[in-house]
Amino acid sequence: MGTAPPASPSSTRTLWPDPGAKVQPDASSDTDSRVGNLFKGDNVNLRFIDWIWHVRGRLAIAPEQSSDEAFERLTPLFRQTGTSFQRTDATLTFRKKDQAAQDKMSIFDGGVLRIEQDGAGPVLRYHLISRALLFCFLAPLLFLAFAQLTIFTSKLQKPPTEAASTSGKAAKGSQKPAVEKAPVPLNPIDKFLGAPEPEKPKKGDEEKLGRRGKKPSPTPAYVFAGMFAALYVIGRILEDRLIKRLFKKSLQVS
Amino acid sequence: MDGVRVGKRVIGAQAPVTVGWENIPRVEGGPVKQFVFTWFQPTMLFALLAFWYYAPNSIAKTSTAIGIGIAFKVLLLGLEWVNPRYASWQLTWKELVTDLFYVGLGYTILRMVDSYIGSDAVIEAIQHNFHAEKFTWFTGLPLLVQAFLISFIFDFGQYWMHRGMHNWYPLWLPHSVHHYITQLNINKGAVGNPVELFLIGLGIGGLFDFVPRAFLIAGAFGMAIGVYQHINVRFNSPRWWRFLFNTTEHHSLHHSQDFEATRSNYAGSYIFIDRIFGTCVDGEAELLGMEGGRRMSIREQMTYPFTEGWKTLKERFGRQVAVPAE
Repeated sequence: MGTAPPASPSSTRTLWPDPGAKVQPDASSDTDSRVGNLFKGDNVNLRFIDWIWHVRGRLAIAPEQSSDEAFERLTPLFRQTGTSFQRTDATLTFRKKDQAAQDKMSIFDGGVLRIEQDGAGPVLRYHLISRALLFCFLAPLLFLAFAQLTIFTSKLQKPPTEAASTSGKAAKGSQKPAVEKAPVPLNPIDKFLGAPEPEKPKKGDEEKLGRRGKKPSPTPAYVFAGMFAALYVIGRILEDRLIKRLFKKSLQVS
Repeated sequence: MDGVRVGKRVIGAQAPVTVGWENIPRVEGGPVKQFVFTWFQPTMLFALLAFWYYAPNSIAKTSTAIGIGIAFKVLLLGLEWVNPRYASWQLTWKELVTDLFYVGLGYTILRMVDSYIGSDAVIEAIQHNFHAEKFTWFTGLPLLVQAFLISFIFDFGQYWMHRGMHNWYPLWLPHSVHHYITQLNINKGAVGNPVELFLIGLGIGGLFDFVPRAFLIAGAFGMAIGVYQHINVRFNSPRWWRFLFNTTEHHSLHHSQDFEATRSNYAGSYIFIDRIFGTCVDGEAELLGMEGGRRMSIREQMTYPFTEGWKTLKERFGRQVAVPAE
């Protein structure tokens, strides 16, 4: 068992393009149904709640830009580690696994981009899926559960009854007479430098130490639940805008 | 890649690393920025030591230490934004959420588990059997000497625990998850499989609000030195600082994609422990992680030690399926 941890420089990651990826170049014209195909299990109509982790949007494309040209400009975004994609004439379907932190689309795990003709000209419609957003949305529930668990376990630890504690004290007292502990005096160097003298521990303090101090409090769990709720709102708005900006910048004709 | 010979080892043969202080970039910018990012670390260390040394008893408590710790991390997050070491390590929303999830585990469920069966229970057992009178020779020492000895003994233990994790497969399994991080920032120290986080007792402390002052000063040593291991800030750390203390440069090398480089710089705060035992390499790396920098999802981070351990057990002890000869 003395083997050192393996650190293979060669990667087992999905390389682009990944021939094994289960991306379907289906003939369906609807972007949403394509995403449904991409993530089996999403087939149930979750339209009313899927905005939590689905990001949809549309972006006008310059009229002189063909769909081929537009996708050529967008393609570099999908030439990333762990990303596989497939393109048909007007649709690009992608999927990501173990995407790098530095990947500009790292928050998304898959999606469909489609160029359609609108009344005013061509538009890019996109439908992207983010497990990170879903995770962040659900994280407050997890931390609220931790808070409840903390309260529950604290209740299980019943405080000793007064009678029990006095009898216990009496029993202890009969074995070992209580000795008043004096605080250790400060070292002369610390006295000279002006450090505060240590206080004599209060009665409760020693008991606290012996009884594992304070009981675990549910407050940190509530704080983290609140933090994740705030982070979700920020992320849902921010990432929506960032991806729109990224697509817009990529499509811009220089 | 040829790598660089450091003692008997060749560092950087598998992945790019920078070896030697003279090759590490300096802080770019005007004289004020240079001054701030040269003296920030020593100033904060001495300020924190002075605070805990002179703080009145009424505020010299663990709860104050936790508050200062959180405020200090927020300040360091600001510094990461102002003067990042590498743009590729810059914090994104997704990385922040991932990191905070682990920080949250440390403050909640791990602390609770620790309080019942982990390090807190061990501390309680020690306290029950602790005879203060036997340690008066120690508690009579100057406060700063006591504090340094406490933090040094703790770090010495951490050094061997960490070195053990890199050399013994059962300990490596839970620690390996932490080595899949692909960038460093202030909260990355909390990222890892909960088994490892439990083992190293991240949930320790915080439940005791009455501790001797020397322990609080020892905590300040740990916080004002060890916190820089996972930071994404370019500092011009003074020569004496980087000789004595672990820095983000040292730790980035420890997290690099180069196998030999990961087997160096094990100490948490005092890099001179690595110098004593010949495991210190001065340098830095930008490309971090395992398997060529594959980023692990939280789900895999939770299960990896168990699935990998199971795979290894099956390989070693699994029944060989007999293939009938034709």
